[in-house]
Amino acid sequence: MTNTLHRLGTVENLKGDYVIFVSMARDINREGSAPKVHEFLRICNKYNPINTGSSKLGSVLQDDVEFPDLIANLKDGSTSAAVFTELDTLQKVLAELVEADLGISINISGLLDGVQECCHQNGIERHSVEHSLGFWGSRDRLPERDVLELNTLCGHGMVSFNLIQKMMEHVRMRKLTPKEAAKIMGKCCECAVFNTTRAERLLEKVLET
Amino acid sequence: MDIDETKCVGCGNCHAICPMGAISLNVDGKSVVNQDECVECSTCYRVLRDEGYWAPLVGAVRKVLSFLNLQYVAPVDVCPTGALVPPELDYPRSLRAAFSDPTVVHAGTGVGGRGTEEIKTNDVTGRLGKGEAGIVVELGRPGIGTHFRDVEKIAMALIPLDPHFEPYNPVTQLMQDTKTGKMKEEVLDEKVLSAIIEVKTSLDKIPDYLSTLEAVQKENDAVFSVGVASKCLPDGSIPHERYVIEAGYTLSLNGKTNLGLGRPLFQEAD
Repeated sequence: MTNTLHRLGTVENLKGDYVIFVSMARDINREGSAPKVHEFLRICNKYNPINTGSSKLGSVLQDDVEFPDLIANLKDGSTSAAVFTELDTLQKVLAELVEADLGISINISGLLDGVQECCHQNGIERHSVEHSLGFWGSRDRLPERDVLELNTLCGHGMVSFNLIQKMMEHVRMRKLTPKEAAKIMGKCCECAVFNTTRAERLLEKVLET
Repeated sequence: MDIDETKCVGCGNCHAICPMGAISLNVDGKSVVNQDECVECSTCYRVLRDEGYWAPLVGAVRKVLSFLNLQYVAPVDVCPTGALVPPELDYPRSLRAAFSDPTVVHAGTGVGGRGTEEIKTNDVTGRLGKGEAGIVVELGRPGIGTHFRDVEKIAMALIPLDPHFEPYNPVTQLMQDTKTGKMKEEVLDEKVLSAIIEVKTSLDKIPDYLSTLEAVQKENDAVFSVGVASKCLPDGSIPHERYVIEAGYTLSLNGKTNLGLGRPLFQEAD
């Protein structure tokens, strides 16, 4: 699963886009992991992530998902995530997670230099890194960059190109505010990695054109 | 996905939500799903809140409004009558949901989403060790979708490089033979939102893989995303960077970092 690897953006907007998430390995540390995932989400939630949730339970952006229910229903192996827009906040979250020593794999998707800085500030060294080499093949089948930036905010690509274009149109026509449109798009992202703040900024650009 | 014709009022909200653009209006003004294109991701069903209105009432109100030259525009994230119906899926169509619906867990790996942990648990699995690189080719991404017949073409193109296909990966598990990259015959026509070919190789073979992918991308109309991963050296440096750059490719500024906080930490033999 490379669900947060290919987030497209400029350095400037990627500076406000960090996803922290946990994964557990079968036959190693998945069994009995639910309380650890619970603690992970509790720590993240203290720092007001703009999105959080778990892939089997959905995200807090969805109509029927509330944070207390979310953590109450976590199961062993529930891959869970939280999105932050500032490196300083991420650094504080990481400090608490290092202190908590949960023993489950924690990953961060974002600008690699920023994440590395966070690691060093917390006295740890990164273990493994994955880079994106971008989109290959028939790229002429892909829409314009703004649409791709929004689409890749959901790792599984659940925010359709058509919905993004419709939301841009609704914002342009003043039928929806950028914030409302970003939330609707975010509801499609089951794993809670959609960054609504980045989406809002991108949609605000529509109003300028 | 199925749509209950007796309930659908043709509002069209599901058309835009569908990641594959597989839903359209038929001549009777009802939404219908192109079953060949639908990847059973259930995004429409999950996102569009069922307003629970009685379809004949919605139809009557719309007729009155139309008569008065008025129009009722529903919010974009609702299905006014709850007309979307997730079907029971038999194999091989069930693979569509397994690969496209993040809430469905792959039976063969126990992982949801695309079904593989890749470097996310590398600190405890040791999947990639010293001198090794992981290469992930995600077909269908972003937003296009893929058939397993296209996955097979890429997998087979990699065979001359003697790839080690990751066994705990659902695409590998659908291969008839990992020595040829051939997929099981019955899955070839199934379409999914995306599927990941995952290979482990030595760092020095990264350029060969990239040049092979460069060549094969010109031979069909598939869209795919490529990722490269490795275990960091003790000082935090990233071994694969040099090989990718020397091969003439640009690395992303962002990426995924495994922080090494999982336990028990995998201990690599010297």
